Amino acid sequence: MNGLSGLLLKLWRSYSTGLAVLVVGFVLSLLTPNFLRPENLLNVLGNASIVGIVGLGMTLAIAAGMFDLSVGSTAAFAACITLSMVPQYGVLLSVLAGVAVGALIGLINGLIITELRVPAFIATMSMMAIARGSALIYTDGRDVYLFGYPDYKVLTRPLWGILPMPVVLVLAILLVLALVMAHTRFGRYILAVGSNLSAARRSGLRSSLVTWGVFAVVGATAALTGLIVSAQVLTANARLNVGLELSAIAVVVVGGTSLTGGRASLVGTLLGSLLVTIINNGLNLLNVPIFYQQLTVGVLLLGALAISVGPDFNPMTYLRRQG
Amino acid sequence: MTTLSRTKAAAGQRARDWDVLWERYGITVVLLVAWVLAALFTPNFATKDNFFNMLRQGSFVGVAAVGMTIAIISGTFDLSVGTALALCAWLTIWVAARAGVAASIIVGLGAGVVVGAINGLLVSRVRIPAFVATLGMYYVVRGFAFIISEGAPATFNGQSFVWMGNGSIGVFPVPFLVMVVCALVGAGVLRFTAFGRYVYATGSNSMAALVAGVPLRQVTMLVFMVVGLFNAISAVLIGSRLYSATAALEPGFELKVIATVVLGGTRLAGGRGSLLGTVSAALLFATLSNVLNLFHADPFVQRVVEGLVLLVALSIEGVRQRIAERLSRTRGVVAEE
Repeated sequence: MNGLSGLLLKLWRSYSTGLAVLVVGFVLSLLTPNFLRPENLLNVLGNASIVGIVGLGMTLAIAAGMFDLSVGSTAAFAACITLSMVPQYGVLLSVLAGVAVGALIGLINGLIITELRVPAFIATMSMMAIARGSALIYTDGRDVYLFGYPDYKVLTRPLWGILPMPVVLVLAILLVLALVMAHTRFGRYILAVGSNLSAARRSGLRSSLVTWGVFAVVGATAALTGLIVSAQVLTANARLNVGLELSAIAVVVVGGTSLTGGRASLVGTLLGSLLVTIINNGLNLLNVPIFYQQLTVGVLLLGALAISVGPDFNPMTYLRRQG
Repeated sequence: MTTLSRTKAAAGQRARDWDVLWERYGITVVLLVAWVLAALFTPNFATKDNFFNMLRQGSFVGVAAVGMTIAIISGTFDLSVGTALALCAWLTIWVAARAGVAASIIVGLGAGVVVGAINGLLVSRVRIPAFVATLGMYYVVRGFAFIISEGAPATFNGQSFVWMGNGSIGVFPVPFLVMVVCALVGAGVLRFTAFGRYVYATGSNSMAALVAGVPLRQVTMLVFMVVGLFNAISAVLIGSRLYSATAALEPGFELKVIATVVLGGTRLAGGRGSLLGTVSAALLFATLSNVLNLFHADPFVQRVVEGLVLLVALSIEGVRQRIAERLSRTRGVVAEE
């Protein structure tokens, strides 16, 4: 690839999702005056951040050539634990505990993948059932309410009266992960493992450590997403965030991270979640029946993929064992 | 060749024979052992009512898993079966209430095949990887199901319609017989037709298959239509069993089906697998939840047990690999790659 066409392709790869966000936003601002109202825009940003947070974690996993299907269950389990802890231990400690539980579940995923040599797909699929079941057992199938503890709302309340907390959190996580990817060995190793596992291993890279780290990060981000969702309504139950795994993978893919592994577009993931959220918000404002929103993600995903998939894709990357 | 290395080769051959036997019949043996243990230690498990009801419960996932097995053997898979199941079940019931049972079955199965054909087109023509193509279709189909149903359930309890999911022929529940027939047909197709051989060839090495003249696109297309068909049969049975369906029927069905196929010994990487294993795995999951029910176990525990069973079954191979590596390393032999 050289010259102008190469440059254009590179620009398109980097900016197509952002361009789509701008175009959709422009069209919506023409169609409905409510779209550009500050409250609505902040609402959109907040909602995009929620799936964006777990999307950032998932981006690392996909860059390393793996998926995590257990994020929805992890989010639910962590939220149940945190909410049940708040009355006794206070908000800060409970939130930290919830995120730690998420990271721990992720770490277990990683251990299962490297030590028992179960493919990530199956390991995390089993964990999906196990974590969801554990959440059901822990809560006895009931809701965990947290009325009378407005402190916990800190996870959704606007910071300095303007920026919703989820937006602040997602930007902070983006910053940290972007620095990790660009400037640390861990970041480079993730890409190395994702682009060619056996080459990475032969050059002496301890791929097990990378896998554990990646899944711990995914678990922690999943837990944080679960906590924010539970903070919106001050309630958690074991059925929270069913299907989160598929929407997280969807925003990563819409954001342009290659499914082949070896590349990560963290900003793209956030733009992907912004695109999905903006479209759904627009459909809401235009009074389109809610059922049509179900179509959005699917059509977007297929559209994005139909444009961007190269012929060199090898699905086997996802199904190999580590060993 | 020295005697020593010959013995070693023979030992290796024996180990491989055991591997093959375990892969083919392991889960079936586990199922039979589970039945014997359950009959001995679980009150009421071996009663006629309970046992055949358990067979019925296992068959709904089992039928859909037949199609998924063929897909996974061919090296691909389908995440859209869960929402396609809801769409087909809703359509079947809606039509049954208006135009009779025969028409409803045709419409239900037709819808499944159409969804499969779209998946096939996306994967084989547009060349979107199966994982994302069917993930996209998962959302599209669900949206479509919600739109045409307007979120309302369809219900119909005509006697001949309800019989399909709830009736029995002799002692055998109808869904169980349907599953057996589906598995036999599937196994026959895999073993005796060119399509079946193409499926295995594509799954073991798609490049080699292409070079050898396997019509990859047509095979992929057909595989997805087959998945859609078996999934739709399952949808008709579930619709008939429940008398009603909404667009949100059975969330997580796709992963249940894939878990069943994988537990049955079919490799996610493609090229190997059997329908006997799939059917056994479907019945094993049903047996587990039945036994847990009979012990009045917390229904929530069931999810955990399901996950653990899947994990244990799937880690056996990897753990054995590790042990073999460690042994050969301690004996100073270079580990096999």
